[in-house]
Amino acid sequence: MKMFNLKTVLLLSICFYSSYGLSQDKAKPRDFFNEEHFTIEEPEATGKPDASGKSQTRNGIRIGAGDDKSGYETTGYTTNSRAITTRQGEKADLMRVVNNPPLGLPKIPQPVNNPLTEEKIDLGRKLFFDRRLSLNDTFSCAMCHIPEQGFTSYEVEKAVGLEGRSNRRNAPTIYNVAYLDRLFHDGRETSLENQIWGPLLAHNEMAMTSFGHVLQKLDTLKEYDGLFEAAFEGRGADILTLGRAIASYQRVLVSGNSAFDRWYFGNETKAITDQAIRGFDIFKNKGQCITCHTVGEKTALFTDKLVHNTGLGFKRAMVEEPEKERMLIAPGTYAYVVKSKKDLVGLPRMADVGVYEVTQDPDDRWKYRTPTLRNVAITAPYMHDGSMHNLTEVIAFYNQGGVLENEKGFPNVTQSPLIKPLGLTESESKDLVAFMMTLTGDNVVEIISDAFATPVGDTTNE
Amino acid sequence: MNIKKFISKPLAVLAPFVAASVLATNPVMADETCMSPYMVKIVGQEDFVYVWTLGVEGLGDGQDKMVTVDVNPKSDHYGKVIASESVGGRNEAHHSGFTDDRKFLWAGGLDSNKIFIFDVHTNPAKATLVQTIDDFVSKSGGVVGPHTTYALPGRMIVTGLSNNQDHGGRTAMVEYTNSGEYIDTYWMPTDDNLQGAVKEGQFADGYGYDVRALPSKNVMITSSFTGWSNYMMDFGAMLGDAEAMKRFGNTMVIWDLHTRKPKQVLDVPGAPLEVRCAWKPGNDYCFSTTALTSQIVLLEEENDVWKATNVADIGVPANIPLPVDISIQSDDALLWVNTFLDGKTRAFDITDPHNPKQVYEKQIGNQVNMVSSSWDGKRLYYTTSLLGNWDKKGENNDQFIKLYHWDGKEMTEQFSIDFEKEKLGRAHQMRFGAYSLYGKQAKVEQAKNPIVAMSK
Repeated sequence: MKMFNLKTVLLLSICFYSSYGLSQDKAKPRDFFNEEHFTIEEPEATGKPDASGKSQTRNGIRIGAGDDKSGYETTGYTTNSRAITTRQGEKADLMRVVNNPPLGLPKIPQPVNNPLTEEKIDLGRKLFFDRRLSLNDTFSCAMCHIPEQGFTSYEVEKAVGLEGRSNRRNAPTIYNVAYLDRLFHDGRETSLENQIWGPLLAHNEMAMTSFGHVLQKLDTLKEYDGLFEAAFEGRGADILTLGRAIASYQRVLVSGNSAFDRWYFGNETKAITDQAIRGFDIFKNKGQCITCHTVGEKTALFTDKLVHNTGLGFKRAMVEEPEKERMLIAPGTYAYVVKSKKDLVGLPRMADVGVYEVTQDPDDRWKYRTPTLRNVAITAPYMHDGSMHNLTEVIAFYNQGGVLENEKGFPNVTQSPLIKPLGLTESESKDLVAFMMTLTGDNVVEIISDAFATPVGDTTNE
Repeated sequence: MNIKKFISKPLAVLAPFVAASVLATNPVMADETCMSPYMVKIVGQEDFVYVWTLGVEGLGDGQDKMVTVDVNPKSDHYGKVIASESVGGRNEAHHSGFTDDRKFLWAGGLDSNKIFIFDVHTNPAKATLVQTIDDFVSKSGGVVGPHTTYALPGRMIVTGLSNNQDHGGRTAMVEYTNSGEYIDTYWMPTDDNLQGAVKEGQFADGYGYDVRALPSKNVMITSSFTGWSNYMMDFGAMLGDAEAMKRFGNTMVIWDLHTRKPKQVLDVPGAPLEVRCAWKPGNDYCFSTTALTSQIVLLEEENDVWKATNVADIGVPANIPLPVDISIQSDDALLWVNTFLDGKTRAFDITDPHNPKQVYEKQIGNQVNMVSSSWDGKRLYYTTSLLGNWDKKGENNDQFIKLYHWDGKEMTEQFSIDFEKEKLGRAHQMRFGAYSLYGKQAKVEQAKNPIVAMSK
């Protein structure tokens, strides 16, 4: 008998193979098919770093999941878990960026009827982290937009809502959302003030049943007494002030002055590496990424704010799912799940036709909003459905030129003409990743720390 | 029905504590085969099974409920539902456990984080909701997903599955008094805060799931599953979500029972779930099973150090049958292991705990989760629901409680109640009740207070 360790995991896998009378040749991956349920594939022998560069620690604040899973794909994985009790921070002066945006970003746009104030930001932050704003008191905005996980969630590809209800899309980051005039992946909402009501009332998100229900519930929470009135010149909580408060917090989550900004806009020649500089050249020229992920003369949002069909939405909707899928069942230990068996325990995939669902225009099928690339290194997983887990995968997808037709020859007629095979080499792909790693704002730790300082709203009897 | 005095282990460290808090009111210890040793047990015929049942949207009243089933073969309502107590909402009803005096049954909701406390002694024929703890998260400092409610002398230990920060798997145990007053939170050890524990291998993930105490060795043993995002999401979607599949526990923790401090963190890859400890004096070991890698794991002490060892495959691990509930026989001879995906129960001969051998297998349904054994091992009850969004879909979604008699060689079905047809919901965990626990006799009580069976 031996205690569990790396060897035990390997022995376990060998044991699985032996039950099928298979050899233990580790040189070849095991992709064998089991007609009953699943099969086990031999673990990868070596560890590899997470290409997205997640889980950095700065000033005691972890950027990344508290239970870092980098390298989980390998038998060499070791945990790097942090105690929940260390998740503490300090309130920041978020108003500072209102008239003084970070290098690389324009001035924060402010609606005429909702100028930014400290009181509104404080109230919005409090609401953002309050789980009682959901039907059964378990869901705040921050349960999907997790501060240390890039204000998205590293832990699931697609958001999971109240009572575990499925969502079709990944929770997008809200860093720099102030500059967007189309919100959600399909761009269906036009202002942050309006946007907040979508998740609050969606059956598969926070599931509150009506505007009045939300406001009535807020009215019962004593700790909000007077806060709306103080923030809105005597006006209490209503449909408009609630939206304006949360919008105010989201609007100041701007993040710039990245290494790239200091190099490109600040003329710090050593701010980024030669590899990243080569990557930026590919970004502008051979890759043509800059066409949609725009860079201006004085500022860069890295998004054209438009919607495009890249081929991914078409693939999800029109291409048959594989008969078996590889999945991890323990660190470095894989199995294959057969589709027919997976379907026994899963609901059918929900249809997603992108912007078409908003406009009803066939030309908008499978179009989604161009996401910003700012902070892209810390906002995995990627794409509207979270199906890509690192930047290398994303580049590989674009390098192949999208998806022009399915296996039966059905054409993806609305795929953007900008999406075409790029012919990038592996080295160029790495350069491109190196460039994107330079886009992390210098204030993310401050913003995370500010979020950690905010109490989570849960039911109390006090 | 009868109740016997039973002291399962020497209680070296806790003896004075136990004597003061438990023995004074109830001079018997131990329980049916899977519960706390600090408890009265039913060694004869149980009268009732309390089934903690998940409400289903659109079925009946749609709420979670504690369902009381009459299981006394001498009763007119044998094999019938005789009471149902709805609690409001769908809370992801999951596990339940009695207080050490066995007067109250605590039942947790993994989603809503509420703990519902039922009176089962005033009228054992109807588990009645008398108290709801609805501030579990705020009181505990952010623990989400109350799972195991486990009796210690005068206290209830509640294991969590998740937290209110990221809905991931890092979590804690929370201690309450029997009357529902919060006492303390014990976070699972993590790499940056092992709290004095020794990280024996590669993992200290901070995840949690089940807990059991082994008083003879002054230890508690916890296992690890996954956080809210996974246990609440659609099972099929999760299997296809590469990020989600990384969020399973790979550890078991050995705790000092007396001080509640972690001592060792053991690597047990593949989501070790239920923990069951042997009963006979001198059998100072426990078992667990891993959900994803389908192993029986033996936990034992050697030279003052605890270790976890894989000792047997469950079915064909490559098929991932998904081992779920387990039940150890009171003579430490058999371990029943249910596998959810193939709907089977398997009996392993564990007379040599280092070499369990499967000796029996039976198909219970299209899916099966919980198994509860009578103390004499002759009656085995089965229910089907694993988690609301993990259960099979469509016609494979069996939802029942079944009783089988076990003669040592073969199982024979006695009754089955279809919880969907009864408009009740998803049948999950079972606990036994008996009039004799409270100095009452079934015949007398039934004559005084006739039960009207709810079942068709």
